[in-house]
Amino acid sequence: MGFWHNIGAVARRELRIMRNRPIYLLGSVVTVAFCAIFFLTFLKQGLPHDLPIGVVDMDNSSLSRNFARQLDATQLGKVIKYDTFQDAREDMQSGKITAICMIPKGMYADVQASRRPTFTYYLNGLYFVGGALSYKNILTMINLADGAVQREVLRAKGVNEDAIMGRIRPVDVDVHQIGNQYTNYGYYLTNIFLPGVLALTVVIILIYSLGAELKYGTSRHLLSTAGSSIVTALAGKLFVYTLLFSGIGLILILLMYDWMHFPIAGSIWNMFLAIILLILASEGVAIFIIGLLPVPRLALSIGALYSVLAFSMSGFTLPVETMPPYIQGLAEAFPLRHYFLLFSREVIFGTGFAGWWQEVIHLLIFVLLPVVVMYRLKRAYIYQNFPKK
Amino acid sequence: MRKDHYIKLWLKDFWGIFTHELKLIFSDSGVMVIFFLAGLAYPILYNLMYLNGVLSETPIAVVDYANCSDSRRFIREVDATRECTVKYRCVNTDEAQTLMRDGKIRGYLYFPSDFGEKLARMETATLSAYADMSSFLYYKNILLAANQVMLKEVGSIQMERYAAAGFTGIQAESLIQAIPYEENNPYNRAFSYSLFLLSAILLVIVQQTLFYGMSMLVGTAREENRSFASLPDKLEGHGVGRVVLGRGAAYWLIYMGISIYIACIIPAMFGIPQRGEFWEIILLLLFFVTDCVMFSMTWSSLITRRESVFLLFLAMSPVCLFLTGFSWPTTAFPEFWKWFSYIFPTTFGCQAFINLNTAGGDLGTAHDQMVALTIQTIVYFALACIAVYAENWYLHHKEVLQEKKRELAAKAGVDLDEDRRIIAGDDGE
Repeated sequence: MGFWHNIGAVARRELRIMRNRPIYLLGSVVTVAFCAIFFLTFLKQGLPHDLPIGVVDMDNSSLSRNFARQLDATQLGKVIKYDTFQDAREDMQSGKITAICMIPKGMYADVQASRRPTFTYYLNGLYFVGGALSYKNILTMINLADGAVQREVLRAKGVNEDAIMGRIRPVDVDVHQIGNQYTNYGYYLTNIFLPGVLALTVVIILIYSLGAELKYGTSRHLLSTAGSSIVTALAGKLFVYTLLFSGIGLILILLMYDWMHFPIAGSIWNMFLAIILLILASEGVAIFIIGLLPVPRLALSIGALYSVLAFSMSGFTLPVETMPPYIQGLAEAFPLRHYFLLFSREVIFGTGFAGWWQEVIHLLIFVLLPVVVMYRLKRAYIYQNFPKK
Repeated sequence: MRKDHYIKLWLKDFWGIFTHELKLIFSDSGVMVIFFLAGLAYPILYNLMYLNGVLSETPIAVVDYANCSDSRRFIREVDATRECTVKYRCVNTDEAQTLMRDGKIRGYLYFPSDFGEKLARMETATLSAYADMSSFLYYKNILLAANQVMLKEVGSIQMERYAAAGFTGIQAESLIQAIPYEENNPYNRAFSYSLFLLSAILLVIVQQTLFYGMSMLVGTAREENRSFASLPDKLEGHGVGRVVLGRGAAYWLIYMGISIYIACIIPAMFGIPQRGEFWEIILLLLFFVTDCVMFSMTWSSLITRRESVFLLFLAMSPVCLFLTGFSWPTTAFPEFWKWFSYIFPTTFGCQAFINLNTAGGDLGTAHDQMVALTIQTIVYFALACIAVYAENWYLHHKEVLQEKKRELAAKAGVDLDEDRRIIAGDDGE
């Protein structure tokens, strides 16, 4: 009975602290809500439209004008005309345009006379999405222009329309994007970024909450409320925070997979489980950091450094297998990495438990981390013998 | 004579505030961790992570129902590309899908049984490529490999077909590719992930660590009942300018050093292209660091406790990174976020750095960003002065304000004293 009573007492105490320091709610609910609004509105288009592409038309023939018009008419592109290559290059270097198409002088005449004029294009690969999409766009358009020329010649030779297609395009590739069929950039990033922000918030808030007891010298009061048991003290605190963060987590999952209709092959219930595991694992990490280093000012700085790295280490942008081997090992130390693996099995392929049970075990290992440092934390709470700030 | 006296006093106050701030910075371990451990180690860590920014040899499988010479050649050529490697040959699509689910392959190619027949009949033969979209780079590699091989195959098959139709030699060539094209990707040849990300992330690290560190100190000062903004006593409310400039100079000095390390030495260590003129980069850093200092001074004045900055603004780091437009293009920003991005120095600083350093432009290409940074600096300097002024006003009227707060709390039925006791750990029970 005493155990449950004490947990209740610690939880009530925690709620009281939260009421007095609005920072707990601001730091959790408001931060996550802001990021959710940011990622869901910022990347709303899914794929960017009307990327500026520079065209330097030295030919000024019906063919070149037609090419520029067609490029402009694509959803992805918007043509900006330049008189000289110099002007276009300067604008590309200052990031105003994503690519330059050079149409050589006399291209139309050369095509007519089968002299094969060379069409040159320049890409700005420093703005990744813009550069890569413009690349795809220009390549498609130039192949279409090429096909149009072939078709004219073949028609003139009297080849029938069906046979023309077979000659212009003997092999075609039909690409299927599994899990994100519209190549939607918003789905791709938000799926991991939002849980990542949540995990970051959990680590920071919990380190702060546990560190504040040391900083303000209230740790003995906490222990006495918990009946001198560190387990009860942690359990009481975690009860409040787990409830709070699980609430936020469930809302995020609902927001993404139900309200915003992100594609999901598996079940949303499994993702609920995943996000709760992510929260528990992050709580484990937070207790581990503050227990290992019971100096609030250092623990929080270290926690912040660690949390920010998780985004890169999860490997959803640059896959982990590309990183050097020692970094690959390090990536395993981030709960978000395992959440990402679980996510990719469940949301993209819908494998169910059989596909991701190992990740569950990995995440549960993080939950056990506090056991290692609990005794140390308790001593720090009793003796308060570390620098307080 | 009086003017001379004023300048002397100004410099003396400035020097006093400047050295005092430096002492505060160097005696705070948390701030040292943020400035020096994060400022110096983060760039190295990010470089190590993204050292090899090009994903090669993505494992894929093939399901070849056609089993003809054409499909086999296609598979061989895909295997030979840098992008993909054919790891498995599956008898049916189920097998390939299982492999993909297990993460053993990132995609597969499927040749339908009529692939060879269609080619023989001179029709269009279609093959399908399936890609795992958990990382866009897998998709990019599979798409790129399949398309490259497809274009090459198209060329050689067309050659045969036109030969059969009576076109040969140059005539056939000019038909197959009437407009040959030449591709140039001058700044990032292999579309390397590290180049584009690191160019943007380096200056974000400068801004964020400076902001976090300074906010920690401001919060600490407030907790210890000091203020970041205390004016020299003898001036009776004047001298806002020297407080802002004196404190700013301390951070500016440290951060010029750190930012030169981050923007000049780190790229040299890891072989990131440095195409800009050295002095132009330094000039950019002068503008950028000054702006960051003023930016941090303005926003840190809102911080009341040491830790609040992490609780409130840590998640802003990735947001800042996106607002630089390094990935999602600036032209596609929704209107609101475009305006929102003007809050941060990195929005302009990173673009200017990419243009100057990585794209190798001259100062003209960073002109707009430099102007924006200057305007931002002026605005933030004014705001920082206002913040110092407001803080002093608050300090002088503290008693009255606290009385008001107590009255409000009494109205709302909250017992502030009891709450304080509980937080302070006194046993109220």
